[in-house]
Amino acid sequence: MNEVCFKTIDQDNPHTLATYKKNGGYQIWREILAGKWTPEKIIDELKTSGLRGRGGAGFPTGLKWSFMPRNQAGQKFVVCNSDEGEPGTCKDRDILRFNPHAVIEGMAIGGFVMGATVGYNYIRGEFKEPFYRFEAALAQAYELGLLGKNIHGSGMSFDLYSHLGAGAYICGEETALLESIEGKKGQPRFKPPFPANVGLFGKPTTINNTESFASVPSILSHGGQWFADLGVKNSGGVKLFSVTGHVQKPANFEVPMGIPFKDLLKMAGGVRSGRTLKAVIPGGSSTPVLTAEVAMNMTMDYDSIEHAGSMLGAGSVIVMDDSTCMVKALTRLAHFYYDESCGQCTPCREGTGWLYRILKRIIDGNGKAADIDLLLSVQDKIIGNTICALGDAAAMPVESFLRHFRDEFDHYIKHGKSIIEVKNSGENIK
Amino acid sequence: MISEKSKQTIDKWIAKYPKGQQQSAVMEALKLSQIDNGGYLDKKCIEAVADYLDMSVISVAEVATFYENYNHKPVAKYTVRFCHNISCMLNGADNLIDYLEAKINAEKLGELVQVKKVECLGACVGAPMCQINDDYFENLNEQKINEIISGLK
Amino acid sequence: MLEIEIDGAKVSADPGEMLIAVTDRAGIRVPRFCYHKHLSIAANCRMCLVDIEGSPKPKPACSTPIAEGMKIWTHNDKTKISQKAVMEFLLINHPLDCPICDQGGECELQDVAMDYGADISRFTEGKRIVEDKDIGALIQTDMTRCIHCTRCVRFGDEIAGVMEMGATGRGENLKIEPFLAYGIDSELSGNMIDICPVGALTSKPFRYELRSWQMQSVAGVSRHDLVGSNLLSQTYKGKVKRIVARENSDINETWIADRERFSYQGLSHENRLLMPQIKIEGKWQEVTWNVALDFALKGLNNAVLNNKQTDRLGALATNTATLEEFYLLQKILRGVGTQNIDYRLNIKDLDATINLPSNIKLTDLETLDYGLIIGANLRLEQPLINHRLRKAVLSGAMVDVVNVAEFDFNYQPNNHNIIAPNQIALLLAGVLKVVLESTQAEVLPDLQNLNPNATAKQLAARLLRADNAVIVLGEHLLNIPQVAIIAALITQIAQHTDSKTLNTSLSANSKAADLAGFTPGRDGLDANTMLTAQLKAYILLDIYPQYDFYNSPKAIEAFNNADTFIIALNSFKDEVVLEYADILLPIANFYESPGSHVNIEGLVQSFPAAVSAPGEAKPAWKVFKVLADLLQLPGFDYTANQQITSEATMHQNPKLSKVDVSKVDVSIDLTMKKGIDIIWQKSPYAIDVLLRHSPALQMTKIGQINTASMNAATAKKLKLTQTDDYLGVPVVLSETVADDCVFINANRQTWDRGQ
Repeated sequence: MNEVCFKTIDQDNPHTLATYKKNGGYQIWREILAGKWTPEKIIDELKTSGLRGRGGAGFPTGLKWSFMPRNQAGQKFVVCNSDEGEPGTCKDRDILRFNPHAVIEGMAIGGFVMGATVGYNYIRGEFKEPFYRFEAALAQAYELGLLGKNIHGSGMSFDLYSHLGAGAYICGEETALLESIEGKKGQPRFKPPFPANVGLFGKPTTINNTESFASVPSILSHGGQWFADLGVKNSGGVKLFSVTGHVQKPANFEVPMGIPFKDLLKMAGGVRSGRTLKAVIPGGSSTPVLTAEVAMNMTMDYDSIEHAGSMLGAGSVIVMDDSTCMVKALTRLAHFYYDESCGQCTPCREGTGWLYRILKRIIDGNGKAADIDLLLSVQDKIIGNTICALGDAAAMPVESFLRHFRDEFDHYIKHGKSIIEVKNSGENIK
Repeated sequence: MISEKSKQTIDKWIAKYPKGQQQSAVMEALKLSQIDNGGYLDKKCIEAVADYLDMSVISVAEVATFYENYNHKPVAKYTVRFCHNISCMLNGADNLIDYLEAKINAEKLGELVQVKKVECLGACVGAPMCQINDDYFENLNEQKINEIISGLK
Repeated sequence: MLEIEIDGAKVSADPGEMLIAVTDRAGIRVPRFCYHKHLSIAANCRMCLVDIEGSPKPKPACSTPIAEGMKIWTHNDKTKISQKAVMEFLLINHPLDCPICDQGGECELQDVAMDYGADISRFTEGKRIVEDKDIGALIQTDMTRCIHCTRCVRFGDEIAGVMEMGATGRGENLKIEPFLAYGIDSELSGNMIDICPVGALTSKPFRYELRSWQMQSVAGVSRHDLVGSNLLSQTYKGKVKRIVARENSDINETWIADRERFSYQGLSHENRLLMPQIKIEGKWQEVTWNVALDFALKGLNNAVLNNKQTDRLGALATNTATLEEFYLLQKILRGVGTQNIDYRLNIKDLDATINLPSNIKLTDLETLDYGLIIGANLRLEQPLINHRLRKAVLSGAMVDVVNVAEFDFNYQPNNHNIIAPNQIALLLAGVLKVVLESTQAEVLPDLQNLNPNATAKQLAARLLRADNAVIVLGEHLLNIPQVAIIAALITQIAQHTDSKTLNTSLSANSKAADLAGFTPGRDGLDANTMLTAQLKAYILLDIYPQYDFYNSPKAIEAFNNADTFIIALNSFKDEVVLEYADILLPIANFYESPGSHVNIEGLVQSFPAAVSAPGEAKPAWKVFKVLADLLQLPGFDYTANQQITSEATMHQNPKLSKVDVSKVDVSIDLTMKKGIDIIWQKSPYAIDVLLRHSPALQMTKIGQINTASMNAATAKKLKLTQTDDYLGVPVVLSETVADDCVFINANRQTWDRGQ
């Protein structure tokens, strides 16, 4: 546990340069500056490592880096996505707070591989403490001459800056994030063209998640195979899982991919005492919900969770016990997407509000029998028809909640109240 | 309005971006102008930012109304941004928000503190949680809320 | 070329083309709202989603580049399911107010909903309501109807070059609006009405007037400027009710200026002249046309014809007249034996005026790499020429400006050279000297001692370096003493740098007047000499001297001479005209007469009448034809306007100017005398009588322009302050005006400008 991004977390002053260096930090960057690495070698190691994008989409990082037209003349950019905001996800905040130098080193390495001399770390606006930690780390790195122009006389340059958001979940979508850095509303761009060709300020750009960048130095110092072997097939390495909700000890855990869900649950202290597990959202609020039974039999890797009917996403495990009213839980999620839709494209702008209003009507006691089919139909009409993935993210929970917990919705519509809350209050009386 | 001090800070942000891309500093410029103006953005702020960054006024207004963290009306000294999304909700955020609002009402703290229900703030392992101005407060319960509120002046 | 397959049929297309361009060309209907071929791609409405073989998700045709072998299905079930889904989402918050919506019948949403919408809505929640703002006199908003396609937002940013509309807020609260109460009235803003696919932005003057299907559309051409924008006049019961753009990629693409769109309002102004009138013993009497024309004939006979004094007869015309009107009137004058003919009323010295050719096509302006603009505020004078230049700048061209004041450009010129009017010739002489030296051409003796300054060197270098350059000469310098030499210098600079020239110094339908020979030639009196020659009779075509002449009081005085018989053909009543005219003949204005416009390229564009003129008013060409018959002149056997058009375009026009610019001796004294130059320009919505009577335009920011700008030093010399008027126009002090210059942009009548 805690071998990569959280390597320093249990040490004194985990975020400082001294701690980072003590743990082998900046070794790879120095080797690169000394000419001991080639971009091709780094990409090979990353491919071997099986590292997949930790922001949620799970695209192989080595492959992504190989897409950059690194030899193309002109400016290119490396961008880190620290705009963490998907409900259930809170790992990048801790990386920035406790191991900011790993992000800096990872980005510098990325700059070298991609032929980019400038990088930006987009940090969500509310993350004031992580922002100051990161800024302080940047200042230290500059002081040490690890960043800047013609670093250590190597002829290589890399300038890194942070950019602060101002409150918009959609900026976690990579092209919305680029728009935001350009000083515009965070509205996703249509693709193609992809950022690797037309990215920030119209230049080739690679965007990776905080955890992905922070994983790179360790992978290179121990070798891609070492990382791959920590995990399982198709899901190399270790991964941060944020286990939250109805657990005794909610926390972030950096554990090997493929760990059984039930072990992870145990690490978080199990469900609250006297309760039983009811449902799990395994990868953040956008991923389909799973029943307890299915969850208890799956392992935490891309293939197993997909097989179980959901997605690993950002590794944000939301645990719900038997006191949870699934109608209210879904309504809250629907509200989130309704509130965070950028409003640019029709199905999401109009559909997220429609979904939320139907659900709100149901929990207000005014549901109609036809509402279930309507919900299913509306979510189906959003999926696949939008510019970015927010539309799908808003729709998928609806389908999965209804698939697994339809009885609760039927009951709520028929009786105008939650069967679970009735049960809960009965228990309280006892 | 933008103070001279804020202009210096904005200039530092502008320096982070390629030449001619000063628009990239608009989010920071708006934040600073908001602070200079006592916590919210009015017409003058938007126009001042547009002027300073050589943007059209409507483009600045687009940004100012897109992101959550800009206010367009006067605000209390402290804004409690209380997360009510899934992990916090599962941990009783709704009841705590009710509790906090009742407390503010009962103690007539409305001019000092205001509560805003917000979506996920990315600190779910500390649920239920809130942000008061810049700072996060996690693992909240009624007692903790009492302590925090009594510490606000 | 690539080959792709659409609905089973092979279609070829260029690499990189978007699918929708290919389907449009092939005539395959793909529904869309946000896509517009002259705007950037937004892909936000999602209506054009189509099924592409091999793609799990449907793809928007507007933003999907084609690839070899691609197979697209535009009407299969998968496509229809997606498109119907999008349509349902578009309609859930769209009001069901089609019966009271001005867009009804020409609404893209309505049309597409017929094919893709459901009969009954499944949406039972409350619909969104958006509060409306008053955004000015031109555009009516009903933003509850907005479907957020952002065409208007992109139009502002990309075409108008001034971002007026924006999309504020987010999610379902996304609102298309200007900032707070900022109005929308830039010179091209009305195009937002045409491109809005729904009834969110409609024409304010047209509001609640009619349904689109009640109107007839007649193709027209505008005469307000040198472009000749194509448009449709939409009429009902003999009235023009609305003007919309008509596409012509060579002329105006899909855009028209607000001037074109809203000037029709003036046609129904209460000041229209409706009946022929004659003045007997100082009293006006309404009469029939026969009586009036008899009266005219008698008057002409008495004044000049019977006593063989035809050289004491003159004809002057407005520059908005049609080619055919210019042609017939000059033919009458030449027929009776005089060449006292002119339309150049606002020029101080017609002996030394500009005769600079325009030798570049409008579309070629887009591919320039360098432009030098001299003495012009093109954006307001020739909005669509400016639009083409702006496109060039956006694709990398450099533009420099030599102006007497700094104007608001909608693109970034490289250098605003703000130069005193009396120094511009010197600057250009410097440019010419550098150019001649660099091209090893012989440097004219008078330039030998000249020391070109840094600006001259820079401009010369850029002109020499450019592959496709143009020099634009605008209307500001028309009346400064050095104008002829400036035109000559430009001609020579252009010759030696292989640049094109564009002369925008005369606007409206001036090119038609030139083509028709509506100029005095070598033997006639010009507009200025006529005024001092004590003529015995005039035929005046739609002239309002207090606005139209360089020296208005002198013109009014000449016309008021008791011995002078004046036949005034006017479309509007006017106090000044009533005073001096002996006979008033009511004539047609825009859209009421067939005719032709000749644009800056020399392109002749003919148009039919869309409506009849009001009351007893007649098209002037018909009046001239009858008058010619009464005068028993040969060669007027026309039965249709087109016969005149072909004759006018075949006709060899006499020499336009007495000055041959290419031979102007540049040895004219280059050490110009110092003095304050007054640059007087009518504001854009006051340039002709129809515009002056169009209420909505007058209410806009541009319509309100009325300033005499000068810098503090000039004001001091003239002993003026900010609170004064100068020549009746409010003084504005501005350091962006050159030294020794008063720049007057007046929306009202002009007074004494004789210096």
